[in-house]
Amino acid sequence: MPSSSKSGGVSGPTSPPHPTVPSRPLRPSRYVPVSAATAFLVGATTLFFCFTCPWLSEQFSVAVPIYNGIIFLFVLANFCMATFMDPGIFPRAEEDEDKEDDFRAPLYKTVEIRGIQVRMKWCSTCRFYRPPRCSHCSVCDNCVEDFDHHCPWVNNCIGRRNYRYFFLFLLSLTAHIMGVFGFGLLYILYHTQHLDQVHSAVTMAVMCVAGLFFIPVAGLTGFHIVLVARGRTTNEQVTGKFRGGVNPFTNGCWKNVSRVLCSSQAPRYLGRKRKSQTVSVQPPFLRPQLSEAQLAAKVLDNGIQGDLHRSKSSLEMMESQSADAEPPPPPKPELRYPGLSRASKSSLLNKAPPTPTMFKYRPTYSSPGKNHTALTHAYANQMSRGDSLKESSSSLLQSSQQQGYRSEPSLDGREGGGGERGGAERSAGSQGAPLGSGMPGYSLGGRSYPSFSDPTVLSGGASHSSSVRSSHNVPASEATTSTSYKSLANQTPPPAPRNGSLSYDSLLTPSESPDFESAAPELSPRQPRTPVLGYSSPFLSAQIAHQREAELHQISSSSSSLLASPHRGAYLRSSASSPPLPHPHHHHHHHHHHHRPTRFSRPPLLSDPGSLSYSSAAAAEMQYRLVRKASASVGEGHTGTKDEIQMRSYSRTNGQPRTFLPQSPPSTPSSPSNPISISTRPGHAYASVASPQSPTHKTGGGVKKVTGVGGTTYEISV
Amino acid sequence: GPEFHNLQELRQSASLANKVFIQRDYSEGTVCKFHTKLPSELDSRIEKTLFEDTVKTLNNYYAEAEKIGGHAYLEGCLACITAYLIFLCMETRYEKVLKKISRYIQEQNEKIYAPRGLLITDPIERGMRVIEISIYEDRSSSGSSTSSSTTSSSGR
Repeated sequence: MPSSSKSGGVSGPTSPPHPTVPSRPLRPSRYVPVSAATAFLVGATTLFFCFTCPWLSEQFSVAVPIYNGIIFLFVLANFCMATFMDPGIFPRAEEDEDKEDDFRAPLYKTVEIRGIQVRMKWCSTCRFYRPPRCSHCSVCDNCVEDFDHHCPWVNNCIGRRNYRYFFLFLLSLTAHIMGVFGFGLLYILYHTQHLDQVHSAVTMAVMCVAGLFFIPVAGLTGFHIVLVARGRTTNEQVTGKFRGGVNPFTNGCWKNVSRVLCSSQAPRYLGRKRKSQTVSVQPPFLRPQLSEAQLAAKVLDNGIQGDLHRSKSSLEMMESQSADAEPPPPPKPELRYPGLSRASKSSLLNKAPPTPTMFKYRPTYSSPGKNHTALTHAYANQMSRGDSLKESSSSLLQSSQQQGYRSEPSLDGREGGGGERGGAERSAGSQGAPLGSGMPGYSLGGRSYPSFSDPTVLSGGASHSSSVRSSHNVPASEATTSTSYKSLANQTPPPAPRNGSLSYDSLLTPSESPDFESAAPELSPRQPRTPVLGYSSPFLSAQIAHQREAELHQISSSSSSLLASPHRGAYLRSSASSPPLPHPHHHHHHHHHHHRPTRFSRPPLLSDPGSLSYSSAAAAEMQYRLVRKASASVGEGHTGTKDEIQMRSYSRTNGQPRTFLPQSPPSTPSSPSNPISISTRPGHAYASVASPQSPTHKTGGGVKKVTGVGGTTYEISV
Repeated sequence: GPEFHNLQELRQSASLANKVFIQRDYSEGTVCKFHTKLPSELDSRIEKTLFEDTVKTLNNYYAEAEKIGGHAYLEGCLACITAYLIFLCMETRYEKVLKKISRYIQEQNEKIYAPRGLLITDPIERGMRVIEISIYEDRSSSGSSTSSSTTSSSGR
């Protein structure tokens, strides 16, 4: 049965968000559109039935009101289901799922879906990597599976579980409006001589309402018919994820439609009765027999996912830990990933990602070589630069072996989606103009997912868009100021997971918001701001990911400069086109000064194959996460205005790209575009960077990257 | 030995040492499917084939639940006709399969995993994002080579 997914009071005074109280603030304005919609629907239909139908049923047939009654019932049923049904909310991940310290876990995790690279973003609110097509709704403050949009007219997110009802609601509402209007017209045509009657007046009023709503509703219905046929969500459509690319989620028109209409009702995740575990676990425990060959195979196999040293230590955590007194030396990149051929891209990605181990249950583990405990302390205690570097690097090695899709907070204090949604709310009023014939509801409601492809929206929603970024950056800066800069400055690049902790942004997809908020490379290490990574990697291949990973381990001190310029995008692009890096270690050192900045820029770092940009990007990302974590802990109640203000100031700072990094390599032709791209006007940014970007964009030859808002990125091999 | 009815009591002889999360396999889209590869942490705890069988069976269950077929279609039609009131009394196909999965996991735990000091948690509790496997260690010192005591820390 549908369960309400909304919390909070029904009505009442709006209370300011309490930093200490996690409950969502009451926002009566949320209920205005849904109340208005309900009032219009029920009111107009009731008037129709009372004033128009009696005559029609006498004059023509009783089938008229019956038909209209059935349609209206259908409308109501689907409306209620769309409104009250849980859209597919993911429950927050429990603490033990958060495998590592946040600032070591990558912001993104990449998976390959039918040959297309899709990026999953870390959701700092929900504490997991968002599955593909999942997005975090800031209005509801939840990650929703197969997120379509947040509909203000039903005051609910539309996701996997209730999309069908929403779609049927639109269809039936269109039919209902047409019926009401048509029969009303019929009535009027027969009563042209009696237009002064109450009945006629009411009928005309109802016709006006019906006619008024018909255009947006029919437009929206048509839009969703197209979406269903193409197997896309509104989110993906408006963020242009598949523009010019391939949709990995489509199965053909017929299967897409049948999937929407004919699949079994998906289960809800929230509010389930948790079954208590009744199975007893008692020693002695059975152990499988490991042969020599198996051990040897394990060693080799773990070369990719972690060498024997690490697996041993993870498995035998209870044993004496003298062996862990020293951090293991980093294996050479070639040895590290012996099976990783530069050519095969999918083999690696199709392998099961190593399950990240959770170390929290290790009782007396205090080895500095072991990751997060030491790092946490370092982070919290603001260790000195040298110490932190050493410890973090050793732990990096450890964790990198694990391949982690570690949980890590993304940059925003609350959530990227939260920021953008909040921004949407703020700027919604100023927008007003429908984005297109097909989506009036999205802009009018103000809270629905904004369309990024519309420059009007973008400019109107400058605050909004900036809030997207600001939500990422502002808390970071707050956090940075409040927490230790040193740990941020000192951090070495995080261990890249196999599939890349890098965030790439395609210039083609300006609408992507939360995704793109990587650290800002523009900021100098001196500044307590979160760096924003701007990558524009058109492609990501497993080999590149591996290369990066390998290089990450080589990163040593002077990580502070890494804050400045993540070039991951550039790195990926150039490295993809060039042969494997000969001296990643060397390059890393060399290049981490590079700070390529915003996600919208595509620095053509062809001269620098990329280890540098990668390392700097990785470093920036690492701090990004660190800041995210700090900011998340600082408080979640960032108001929109604060985000806006901070974002604006941040973007202004971002507008000065190269001031902090005098040693930037010469290959910064796109730097002029950086300030623009970092600006709070993503639409403009995209427009401005579009041209310089495209030539360099294609260097990689063959992979186009499309990103979307939900934190997913799609890379299409051309 | 004494029967333990909840995990808390188990601390006396076995303690939760670690948790491993089997991630979703998205290579075929958003259908519910988990990776069948044995994670390295479990390498010494359970045989690869047993583990793979468990995950493959789960994957099959989920595929069955999400199958778009005549049964699901009829269910949808019935729901539509009754203005979705049928959901009040009828259990959907997916829920039925979830119950089957729950029973299967319980049985696997009893037969295979608990004797090896492991416990599988139903993925639905985690939003079907991961299969959580809890790894237990024998607290009391025993002759087992891999479960050496934690107290043997040397000046750490």
